[in-house]
Amino acid sequence: MYPVWEGMFIHSAMYVAIIATFHVLASHLTVAAAWFNLYIERRAVRENREELYEYLKRSALGLMVFAYVFGAMAGVGIWQSTTAANPRGISTLIHNFVLYWGSEWYMFLIDVIGIIAYYYTLGRVGKQTHLRLAWLLALGGSGTLAIIVGILSFKLTPGAWLENGLSLAGFFNPTFWPQVLMRFAFMFVITSGWSLIIATGLPRGFFEREKIIRYAGAIGLIGLVVGVGIWFLWYQPTLPAHARSIMSSRAIVPITYPLIITGVVAAAATLTFSYFRPQLQRRWIALTFMVLLQAAIFGAERVREVIRKPDIISGYISSNQLLFADLPARGVEREEQRLKEIGMLGNLPFLLPADQIDVANISTTDAQRQIAVGHVLVVQECGSCHNVSLQTQIRFADQHLVLRSLADLFVLRQRTTAADIDAYIKGIQGFPYMHEMVGTDAERAAMAAYLEDFIKQTYTNQPAVIGQK
Amino acid sequence: MLEMMRDPLGAPFFPVVFQALLVVTWVLHIHFVTGAIGSSTFSIYAFWRKDPNLLRLGRITARLTPNMVGLGIVTGIAPLLFVQTIYDPLWYAANTLTGFWSVTFIFIVMGGYSLAYLLFYLKGSKDGRLLWSAVASLVLLSFAGWVMHVLHQVSIRPDQWMSWYAPGGVIDTRGVQFHAYDVPRLLFLLPLQAGLSFAATLMFVSWYLRQRVDADPTFLDWTAGVGRRIGLWVAPLYGVFGLLWAFTEGPEFGLTAFIAVVAIVLGIGLFAFFWLQNKQPVRAGAKALGVWALALVVVAVTREVIRAVSLGRFNYSVANYPYIIDWGSVIMFGVTSVVGVSVVTYLIMVIYQSGLSADGTVSAKAEGFGRVATAMLGAWFGFFVLIGLYSSLFLR
Ligand code: HEM
Repeated sequence: MYPVWEGMFIHSAMYVAIIATFHVLASHLTVAAAWFNLYIERRAVRENREELYEYLKRSALGLMVFAYVFGAMAGVGIWQSTTAANPRGISTLIHNFVLYWGSEWYMFLIDVIGIIAYYYTLGRVGKQTHLRLAWLLALGGSGTLAIIVGILSFKLTPGAWLENGLSLAGFFNPTFWPQVLMRFAFMFVITSGWSLIIATGLPRGFFEREKIIRYAGAIGLIGLVVGVGIWFLWYQPTLPAHARSIMSSRAIVPITYPLIITGVVAAAATLTFSYFRPQLQRRWIALTFMVLLQAAIFGAERVREVIRKPDIISGYISSNQLLFADLPARGVEREEQRLKEIGMLGNLPFLLPADQIDVANISTTDAQRQIAVGHVLVVQECGSCHNVSLQTQIRFADQHLVLRSLADLFVLRQRTTAADIDAYIKGIQGFPYMHEMVGTDAERAAMAAYLEDFIKQTYTNQPAVIGQK
Repeated sequence: MLEMMRDPLGAPFFPVVFQALLVVTWVLHIHFVTGAIGSSTFSIYAFWRKDPNLLRLGRITARLTPNMVGLGIVTGIAPLLFVQTIYDPLWYAANTLTGFWSVTFIFIVMGGYSLAYLLFYLKGSKDGRLLWSAVASLVLLSFAGWVMHVLHQVSIRPDQWMSWYAPGGVIDTRGVQFHAYDVPRLLFLLPLQAGLSFAATLMFVSWYLRQRVDADPTFLDWTAGVGRRIGLWVAPLYGVFGLLWAFTEGPEFGLTAFIAVVAIVLGIGLFAFFWLQNKQPVRAGAKALGVWALALVVVAVTREVIRAVSLGRFNYSVANYPYIIDWGSVIMFGVTSVVGVSVVTYLIMVIYQSGLSADGTVSAKAEGFGRVATAMLGAWFGFFVLIGLYSSLFLR
């Protein structure tokens, strides 16, 4: 339906993942820090502690410069990268939720104008006024979090939306409540991580340094226990069976779970330690903790994204950007069925008919033409999750770095001839994370021909694979 | 083809409303990003010249730049939402055809923003040591504007998409080429508007600070004068480049005369406005910002007319974009708009009023309003949970 952007050097989906990781750090931190600063400022006002304002000023500057604007920009980045990588996926979200995103935009405005007001008026306006700004930042940040969860969770569990087409049903979907509560619980773990970093940097004996560390430990532990509890008792049981089966399949990169477990264990240990031995807490421990926590969050977010494979919106649109379900409530008809019958080529915008592919090259043989046709189809149907050409391989010496390369996968399964590959693709839907291939037998044969050629291109002079990101 | 590319879900509300929101929020966006580019350019000039008055102002503008960029980014998000709601075929085709730059754009803006902050951190870098960072920042921010411009230019030329995507029947999935651009248009929209945005902002800020009891009237009068002079110089160029835009892009869409008239009116009108403020430019600060906002609305509408005419050739029109009235969306956006506008108004009041007085007083009236606005934001969560429970229980 749209031109394909495969990515350049690295795969388009990797751009999304990299930007998203950064965004998660910045955005969770702003919400967490806003609540922590509110707590500090309330104490400063109540107990008339001037010295705390010094801390608030420093923190606000750092937040204003890095977290808020970078968070917002990385948020835009996720958008840009998903748009370029998979426009119809984002289109479905936009056409359902543009006004929810518009609502979130007000919260961004509150955040960004709020932090500017917060920083520049600190020490100038009355204390009650400034405290109110702290409240607005904490509430505004939480508002963005609450809204985005509705849109994120929709992708995995659109729920009743698949029948009634109502945005509210899709937004407040089956996994919305557990996910929003879980995120708020885990946010307190991040808050405590942030406050540990700040508090351990204070000189010893400074205003209740130990007490803040203890509080941070307690709040973080509660958040952790509640969050993990929600995960096991509520979130995971709510997941569709399909998603749970993918969770334990090879679609999830093996390192992911150790990463998550390490983060949780590190959090439990650091926070318990902070609670019982606040005077021994050190900055490097706090920083290490934050890094491990971040790695765990990255792992968890990847799992959340992968378990809805092979769909972008579960039960509605697949990763190859074709609608495969009707939605009568919104007058939408599925596209996949028809294309399976009449074929892909020439039947979607930007997909040339077979006889127009590679026309400029008059000296091509039929076999080469078939490969060229297969190339177009493979890029279209497989390219959004797999490396399908040299363009998105980083090669050095005899190695290459790739995202789920089809060349590597077929070599791994010892299917390297067109005939074998053809037979393999025919039954590809046997994997829980794959859809049936869309197109005619001739189109599938062309795809197999291209893939055989692609394996040769990849392995001409480099036998080894570094691994799949 | 364009019509079938539209998302089958349609828009969740009247499409023209999204079009209006697109125009209005883009005006905010372009004011802040061009203002940032203007103030960044001015800071560099000031640090380079090292004249005491210029330096004093340059330090202020160096601190203004990153905040303007920050606001430019946030106000860019809104048109980004609305453009892909009613112009999805165009926006998505342009972003995939130019995929590499569309994604690299993020890093470009972040880089430009961070480098602008370097200067801020050193309070405008007294001896101009960090001038390189300001220059690099300006280059990156301008480049971001170039990318935006290319995306837009690609988007309004559906007739050429296929020849860009698959020349000779071979698909190009790299997204690295700048397929379409119109240099006069970009110069009009970016550097020249940067001059005018900055001029209006300078006059406004001088007028605003002039009301403070501890103000330095000589300096502020001088500053407003600088703003006026920039306006006087740039406005005619603005008109000239507008004309060039008319003659380069106009013929393709049969809009030469239309764009030319807009350019002449804007060029002459703005020049006349700045020229008339010869007595006490500082007193015209608020008016300058208002006039400039009006000019930007005209530009925004002109862009929209060009897009509409271009798409009209393919029977694509916002007026016949399919839509439903999705009540959930309307209620959510309506309620959040009331709350959001109130809170933002309060925040602006705090910034505005506290900056006006020497000791940062905020009026009791504003405080009262702030209490209400904060309570509204708190109550918003109650609303959110209630509508959520309703949806979870009854919309099964
Ligand atoms: C800071 C660097 C930026 C600069 C200098 C800049 C400049 C521009 C310019 C010159 C245009 C008009 C293009 C034309 O009509 O030819 C434009 C349009 C636009 N910009 Fe930006 N921009 C910047 C950042 C952003 C960001 C961060 C966003 C998103 C969050 C954004 C969103 C938009 C949108 C949605 C449009 C309208 C596109 C359309 O109507 O087709 N911009 N920008």
